[in-house]
Amino acid sequence: MTQNNNKQIRALQSFAIAFIGYTQDAFSFLPNPFALERQRNTLQELNVSLSEEVSFLRSAALENLHLRTMLAFRERSNRTLVAADIVGKNIHLMRNTITLNIGKENGIKQNMPIITETGLVGRIIAVSDNYSLGQILLHRESRVSATVERSRVNGIVAWNGGLQLVLKNIVKSVDIKPGDRIVTSPFSSLYPRNIEIGIVSSVYHVPETIFQEVGITPSVDFATVERVFVIISKDDSERNAFEQTNAANRQDQ
Amino acid sequence: MKTFLRNILWGVALIALQTTAMRLISIEGIMPDVVALWIVVVALREGQIAGTVAGFVSGLILDVISGDFLGIGALAKTVCGFLAGYFYDEFKSSEVFGTYRFFFAVIFSSLAHNIIFFVVYLQGTEIEFARTIIQFGIGTTAYTSAVSIVPLLWKRT
Repeated sequence: MTQNNNKQIRALQSFAIAFIGYTQDAFSFLPNPFALERQRNTLQELNVSLSEEVSFLRSAALENLHLRTMLAFRERSNRTLVAADIVGKNIHLMRNTITLNIGKENGIKQNMPIITETGLVGRIIAVSDNYSLGQILLHRESRVSATVERSRVNGIVAWNGGLQLVLKNIVKSVDIKPGDRIVTSPFSSLYPRNIEIGIVSSVYHVPETIFQEVGITPSVDFATVERVFVIISKDDSERNAFEQTNAANRQDQ
Repeated sequence: MKTFLRNILWGVALIALQTTAMRLISIEGIMPDVVALWIVVVALREGQIAGTVAGFVSGLILDVISGDFLGIGALAKTVCGFLAGYFYDEFKSSEVFGTYRFFFAVIFSSLAHNIIFFVVYLQGTEIEFARTIIQFGIGTTAYTSAVSIVPLLWKRT
């Protein structure tokens, strides 16, 4: 087994993503009947308090508000952002990825962060000319260097297999409590600092270890997210090469 | 040659279906594995070697599409095709759909596929193994088996 980093695999992957992207784009208008069932129940609850007309207007207003929020977010952000629609969500066998309708032609490259106005979604892992594949935070390989905003404690955010994330490497003596906001760390080479990841939902002191388990509720609702931004980050290859060289030198010594 | 081409076309179509439209019938992130169904059909019609090869190739393609590291899907689906091959009967190879043989081959090989997949996939992660096997391993097997029983029910009615 190997990581997909060589040129041939990348070319094959690019072709596969283009093919799957076009197909998913074609199917993207179809809804999931089970999701529709849930949506129907929610709408029924809404109908108790709202008339059909108000409900319709509210839906339109919410969409308008959402788009305005995205626009405002884009305007106030000092980063270069490219908006994208999610045309496919791949969830088979926990390989949770999203297909975006932007690619190399929009300046998208591997490892660029994906965000929404509410927080971090993940990163780009493969790109074709017009589509790209994003790895969301709910993925086995997702690791994000993170900081607790209040106490500035650093850790690594990973997925626990459910709808929650976990903050790893947090010793018991560290000040952290439910409600704390978790943001991307200034030390991350992949993600810009201070992007919200989630809110601490639980803290559990594991017996007979020095660490505590910190549960995080992601800021982004991955089940309903439809539009995202990709941050066009500047090439940080010099830093990466420098860090890798130093790590290799330390191993040699 | 005709059978070979037909199998390849079905394989490509079902891989496209699996990666695009199957999410439409997913329940809590669990969806039927139609590629595994195709592998079982190939194994029951053409034998163990054909099933094993079909499993390896389709698994590798799904690995590439997923953007994940290569080999897990190929390994799991190779085993799926190999095990389904034990249900091959050369005198009954034309009768696949609507038989108990197909149904049991799907349950057996799909369960083995999912267990092997998750045993390797969850190495070095924070993800709880037992819960994942029960939720996604058995869940996917049950959903895939439920789809495979449709032709059987159709035939009985």
